[in-house]
Amino acid sequence: MSVKHEDGTGEGLLAEVRGLRVEIEGRAIVDGVAFRVLPGRVTALVGASGSGKTTTGLALLGEYPRGARVDGEVRVTTGGPVGYVPQHPASVLAPARRVDALLTDVARMRVRHLPRGERRAAARARVVRAAEDAQVEDPGVLLRRYPHQLSGGQQQRVVLAQALLLGSRVVVADEPTTGQDGLTKRRVVEQLAALTARGIGVVLLSHDLEVVRALADEVVVMRAGRVVESGPAERLWAAPRHAWTRELLAAEGEVTSFDVGATRSRRPVVRVRGLVARHRGGPPSGPVVLRVPALDLRAGECLAVVGRSGSGKTTLARCLAGLHRDHDGEIRLDDTVVPRSLRRRTRAQLAAVQYVFQDARAAFDEHRPVVRQVARTAVRLRGADAGTAGREAVDVLARLGLPEELVRRRPGELSGGELQRAALARALLARPRVLLCDEVTSGLDAVTRRDIVRTLAELVGERGDVALVLITHDLATAALAHRVAVLDAGEVVEQGSARQVLDDPRHPFTRALVGTAEPAART
Amino acid sequence: MSGLRSFVARRLLLGVAQIAAVVLLVFALTEALPGDAAVALAGDQPDPARIEAIRTALELDRPAWERLVHWAAGLLHGDLGTSLTSGRPVARYLADAFGPTLLLAALTVALLVPAGVALGVLAARYEGRPVDRLISSVTLAVYAVPEFALGVLLVTVFALRLGWLPPTAVGHGTDLLAHPGVLVLPVLVLLARPVCSLVRLVRAGMIDALASPYVAHALRYGVSGARVRYLHALPHALAPAVQQLARTIDWLLCGVVVVETLFVVPGLGTVLLGAVAERDVPVVQGLAVVFGVVTVVLNLGADVIAHRLAPRAGVAA
Repeated sequence: MSVKHEDGTGEGLLAEVRGLRVEIEGRAIVDGVAFRVLPGRVTALVGASGSGKTTTGLALLGEYPRGARVDGEVRVTTGGPVGYVPQHPASVLAPARRVDALLTDVARMRVRHLPRGERRAAARARVVRAAEDAQVEDPGVLLRRYPHQLSGGQQQRVVLAQALLLGSRVVVADEPTTGQDGLTKRRVVEQLAALTARGIGVVLLSHDLEVVRALADEVVVMRAGRVVESGPAERLWAAPRHAWTRELLAAEGEVTSFDVGATRSRRPVVRVRGLVARHRGGPPSGPVVLRVPALDLRAGECLAVVGRSGSGKTTLARCLAGLHRDHDGEIRLDDTVVPRSLRRRTRAQLAAVQYVFQDARAAFDEHRPVVRQVARTAVRLRGADAGTAGREAVDVLARLGLPEELVRRRPGELSGGELQRAALARALLARPRVLLCDEVTSGLDAVTRRDIVRTLAELVGERGDVALVLITHDLATAALAHRVAVLDAGEVVEQGSARQVLDDPRHPFTRALVGTAEPAART
Repeated sequence: MSGLRSFVARRLLLGVAQIAAVVLLVFALTEALPGDAAVALAGDQPDPARIEAIRTALELDRPAWERLVHWAAGLLHGDLGTSLTSGRPVARYLADAFGPTLLLAALTVALLVPAGVALGVLAARYEGRPVDRLISSVTLAVYAVPEFALGVLLVTVFALRLGWLPPTAVGHGTDLLAHPGVLVLPVLVLLARPVCSLVRLVRAGMIDALASPYVAHALRYGVSGARVRYLHALPHALAPAVQQLARTIDWLLCGVVVVETLFVVPGLGTVLLGAVAERDVPVVQGLAVVFGVVTVVLNLGADVIAHRLAPRAGVAA
């Protein structure tokens, strides 16, 4: 089956999906999905990862997974291709070409009617206009860069410019705000709103309810490939009919505090003094990427490190873990200065500082069962024998809600949220004193995020000796911590108790960050 | 870009050190060989007194380190020294022999790049289909044949049996371009294995690139297939191939001893073989310097180009 293109815009309908069923090897990934795309309106497909949002979105582009059996109807009534802004915009920009490569190719196809001599200038003018329409700042400079030289937001705007240049009347935006900080998120919302102002129909695939609330006119709630509920946004928010929708909405507002029954000792586990980190592998006089004059991590306490992407949050965690050794200053673990490089730390020091990465899937070997990889930590870092380590791994995983039967499988069969919990279990098996969690909840839907945060909260409560560092751009998550440190352009601009920093910010940057974190008002 | 500039400067400094090390090693190894230029020159009359006289005349009686320092001092002024056996300046030797080697190398590369890239892209485009299987199995088979065996085979068939082409370049001096016939077989032999490795590298890189989201995206937006293949996918696929190509050019420029000897081409490889046989240390050392410079410059160039083609990978010194 292919996408049918029809000319003429009967009753303003841009695209319609009816009874879509996509099946791979007899297993339906999407079943009975139906929705409509109207000019100037936003249709949001909401659901956890694996709920079939992306498969449905790609169906509008006429693309299906390899070997898929497709039933139902996908009708696009506008001429020309449907625009697509994927979750990782960098993936659709050729890495070895400047970012205007595809833009120029698309523009060239539209200036064929002109005499040969005028084509180049006309194509360039079209490219620049599309870039300006997509709010690419300083197109003359930015478009001549390579994809890796642009920020995620800039890449996204370039990809959006491609769709505008193409004249797409329907644009599919896949998780456009995942992993973005508050300021960038607000900008994405404005951009998508600007698309609708041009009469473009936007299909928003997202699990980020904040953004969906700000933009969506129609909401389609998906779960396991099926539509559980759909309807106008106002109705859905006010009176959700399906239990799953209600849970999704409840999870968003629910507050888990790290204060649950924690007896907090005020003893610092790690003390950072005079930390000045520079670019990895760069000269010792190179630009400073992070400056932390003083920071303490206390047992039984959760410190949230917040800031925009590129502010040095991850560098701080990497310095602590010994993964970024180009820095001055000292990091003391229980009064001993730990070596800068991971390679020169003792086994006990390695075990004491554990890192849980944002991309849990990338942090597992795809060929070995999850439980074996989790157990390995105890063998490597604590010298436990394989049998004991295996039993302990199954125990810890079970306590984090992962049954033995599930963790005997390979990582490919676990969802993102499950793998994140497995990664957490793996870190816990080292019996760490400091647990560094780097954006562990971004990219997860509201329900899974709530579960992970709850798990972390219980953990800090149960084991009074662990210092938790939560790196996040999500202020709602940061608000649950005991203390917050705010980073901007590598400097700690503010630190203190979560309540004081977030409710009564002193620094202008924190104020700007907190200001944007409130639910964006509908325009 | 200052990062790239300091990278190039660091690599050049490192390169000078590497060339010095190569020269020292080559000097030590030629010293370690039994006999010296005097013995070689004395030839059929190994009269000890005569050998001693030649040795004194050539200043071979001075200690090895003194000769090395003398030679190195000359090198700083751009003087590569003079040959022990013929008395001609080493620079002349190298200049004469560089012509044929450069000619062979240039012809080979001129055919290698288009053939390797085109076949690699073709195989990747039809991955798993008969065209790909044919290209993949033929390249594997040809790669498995060493140069000397292939050379002998080609000479036997095309020169001796069929008589289509001259078997060697004997009698044509260094002006080989005037007799293009003598170049065909050597170039074919030189081409055989590098083409195979290049095809396989380009094929692997292209298969990755063609499966990437940015290729799907360009096709989705209506860009023609050929444009996507050659302008969007290929640049990314070329990064590993460039490194391999630099190694091949290096191999070609440093005088491919086996092929030059087989076809009696008076190139650098032939000079090297002769100089070692005659224990002509200054010529061997001069060659070592030339080979070292070529290797360092080519690899640096390849790294810079690869950095351009895979900008995210960064540069490692």
